[in-house]
Amino acid sequence: MATLTSGRKTALRRELEAIVGPGGVLSDPDELLVYESDGLTLFRALADFVVFPTSAEHVAAVVRLAGREGLPFVARGAGTGLSGGCLPAEGGLVISMMRMNRILEIDYENQLAVVEPGLVNLHLSWAVVPKGYYYAPDPSSQQACTLGGNIANNSGGPHTLKYGVTTNHVLGLEVVMPDGEIVWLGGRTRATPGYDLAGVFVGSEGTFGIATKIVVRILKKPQAVKTVLAVFDQVDHASAAVSAIIARGLVPAAVEMMDQLTIQAVEDAFGCGYPRDAAAALLVELDGLRVGMDAQTERIVQACRDAGAREVRTARDEAERALLWKGRKSAFGAFGRVSPAYMVMDGVIPRTKLPYVLRRVNEIVAAHGLRVGNVFHAGDGNLHPNILYDPRVPGAEARVVEAGAEIMKVCAEVGGSISGEHGIGLEKADFMPFIFSAADLAVMQRLKNAFNPTGLCNPGKVFPTKKSCVEVGPVAYTPHAIEAKGLAQRF
Amino acid sequence: MQDALLERLRAVIGPANVLTGVELSPYVVDGRTPEAAVFPGALEEVAAVIALCGQAEVPVVPWGGGTAASVGMPAARAGVVLGLRRLARLVEHEPGDLTVTVESGVTIAELQAALGNRGQWLSLDPADAERATLGGVLAANAAGPRRHLYGTARDLLIGVTVVTADAAVVKGGGKVVKNVAGYDLPKLFIGSYGTLGVIVEATLKLRPVPEAERLVALRFARLKDAAAAVRALLASDLIPNAVELLDPTAAAALGAGEAGGALGLAAGAVLVVGFDGLPEQVEWQCAELARLAAPHGGRDATPLSSAAWPRLAAAVRDAFPVATAVMSFDVVPAQVAELMEQGAGVARARGFQTAWAAHAGVGVVSAALVSDREPREPGPVCGVLSEWREMARAGGGHATLERAPLAVKSQVPVWDDPGAAGRVMQRIKAQLDPKRILNPGRFVAGI
Repeated sequence: MATLTSGRKTALRRELEAIVGPGGVLSDPDELLVYESDGLTLFRALADFVVFPTSAEHVAAVVRLAGREGLPFVARGAGTGLSGGCLPAEGGLVISMMRMNRILEIDYENQLAVVEPGLVNLHLSWAVVPKGYYYAPDPSSQQACTLGGNIANNSGGPHTLKYGVTTNHVLGLEVVMPDGEIVWLGGRTRATPGYDLAGVFVGSEGTFGIATKIVVRILKKPQAVKTVLAVFDQVDHASAAVSAIIARGLVPAAVEMMDQLTIQAVEDAFGCGYPRDAAAALLVELDGLRVGMDAQTERIVQACRDAGAREVRTARDEAERALLWKGRKSAFGAFGRVSPAYMVMDGVIPRTKLPYVLRRVNEIVAAHGLRVGNVFHAGDGNLHPNILYDPRVPGAEARVVEAGAEIMKVCAEVGGSISGEHGIGLEKADFMPFIFSAADLAVMQRLKNAFNPTGLCNPGKVFPTKKSCVEVGPVAYTPHAIEAKGLAQRF
Repeated sequence: MQDALLERLRAVIGPANVLTGVELSPYVVDGRTPEAAVFPGALEEVAAVIALCGQAEVPVVPWGGGTAASVGMPAARAGVVLGLRRLARLVEHEPGDLTVTVESGVTIAELQAALGNRGQWLSLDPADAERATLGGVLAANAAGPRRHLYGTARDLLIGVTVVTADAAVVKGGGKVVKNVAGYDLPKLFIGSYGTLGVIVEATLKLRPVPEAERLVALRFARLKDAAAAVRALLASDLIPNAVELLDPTAAAALGAGEAGGALGLAAGAVLVVGFDGLPEQVEWQCAELARLAAPHGGRDATPLSSAAWPRLAAAVRDAFPVATAVMSFDVVPAQVAELMEQGAGVARARGFQTAWAAHAGVGVVSAALVSDREPREPGPVCGVLSEWREMARAGGGHATLERAPLAVKSQVPVWDDPGAAGRVMQRIKAQLDPKRILNPGRFVAGI
């Protein structure tokens, strides 16, 4: 934690103010408190300073200052992250990107936009929607989260099933490297010479540097959209419907699932028209050409009926569609009405394993004496169990964390991943060995060394903390280890 | 070549799988003959080969189908070709997950055939599908016309297993379609030309085979008219899977395989557009395309055969019996037509014939240049190629010299300047391959 003497702190504050201006530095503990955690309140840590740069040059100067002082630093957007990824792990600097929130350029002919990292995700779509365009990745927090944060976490959202996640929409980045150099990775064209460093940077959780400009693709709004609600009396049937839709050769824009606890919470809070007695509901959205839309919708309806849906209906108009989506996107908030606290999990499984894994999730949570609401991106197998608990009950939080770890193990066992969109951050750093070998992690560590050799840029994230879990140096060749690890763990 | 190394290689993977002497002629690149070509039959044999070569400090040149073997700077030292054709097993294909895991030595054609039997396909259509292996296509980041809608390897590869320079078997990503755990190693290896690791296995996203698909060609009097039609198409509601702009020479190569060969008569340019989906969607879009293109002078809308797809991917290269040089460009889509027009003009003024084609919607352009005289002196060719590169760079794009004689490559760099990012790339290479065993000297920034 903060070990700066008060004299040193005052001197540093002056230096930081000389870079970003007098209104751009916080160092009062009361003010710093706002920045002590992100959306995952399990972890808290206080920075020595929060600084608010307004240009790449500011960021570079702050980063160089941090390097000179040996102070760790971390970039922060809106703080909506769910893995503790933007926490100042060991004091040092939080570099808030919230004042760098401009749209610098919109180029409709080349279907791209150049933006600053503090821009709110939804504000980009708002800016281009009058001309019939939008920015595709749509995390549930899109009204608040920033594009810089989306870059760090390679954020997804419901519509990633058809359109991909953040990385599929980023062409280039201006980055302040951890040594303060300003470098372009990628650019405005589909490829640039050499390794795909923009692709490597996206999803690096703020450990490779700080993006100061972002070039993203903007897409034409589809001509037509249809939203189907399918209601099931058994969760297994809803799970099976997901694979049935895919097996019929359809790729919907989104396939979202909500279980009974979630439906009831949403109905209590917002009254969006989901039947309260249903065991599960699927929200399926198709988009594309007007021609053929009815025929495709009919196939979705039929696939759901064949899988055992008791009711399938299509949103009649935009208002009904918006209401159904409001229920889905507000589900996390609705849990607040049925429980004093909840923790959202994030794991991914092959979608054909959904029935099995959902049963296991419910068993695990029940075994810990807790309740769970599932609301998630079923189409791409991205689970979000929300474990409800009362933080005033001693030991409750620990049980939630334990249940979460067990759920992650199940995801890993069926060939899945421990994060689909929330990132590893602090929360899951020690779970990395569930899916990666020491050799896998060693290569990741070496990649990090190439970007961030001092380790001052967002330390303590992504990699397991227990030293025994990571081998940092080159891994020696031993045929038996390869057979044992490589072959046995092959996917 | 140390005989001791050859002996050890033979012992590890069997003498029949180690080629030497005259058997090496298919593996000669830029006039340089490798010291041996070895063909391991299993993952652990790949690791063993790399370990042995690493100990002997002999470079390793990963080799799939050899279709992109000549792309890159000539190797600094002769090494051992590491062929992956024997690693071609389909490891896992679960249609309900829309994913496949496969060894990297499988050819694109073999993989598509296996997937097609179950109604799915990999939406990646590079040239030379019969010979190009999946690993090679990933390493060279090759793609074809359908990248317009479906993107490139970076949009499809979700997991990768590589053998690194220190012979460790490493995997990145996973086998699920959405995954942010750890750094995105698949992105690192795509387009890395075998300089960071040898790709031995890959997991990819798949798509259902569309019910209907069609290619339509339209003729225009001038290239700029065709470009205006492309702009109208991209701003419309249509969802083409390919948008190809060809000059008359490239169009002639494409049209030569079609009944009637009518495309060769184009005076200015040919626009070829692909659509897929339900039959009624394809039908409606073809009609809309003709309607959109008419005000720009687009005429003679002609459906092409499905055999035109692979010819589209190689139209520029195939426009001449032997092209002197092939250059590819990445520019913003709005600059495609101007580059094609001005680039052809520069070459014509110096007495060269050229052929141009573009994936116009994504700004990827290729040009082939041919000299009718036997060039004793590479100067004029180099002059044209350098001017082309400057044109692309002036608009924020870049150029790659994909094929050229050694005399040209020694004057015109194969790769464009990566700028300050080049230093980051060098640091990555130094971290992953400190002894410079893998394809040394072939790639950008001396990597």
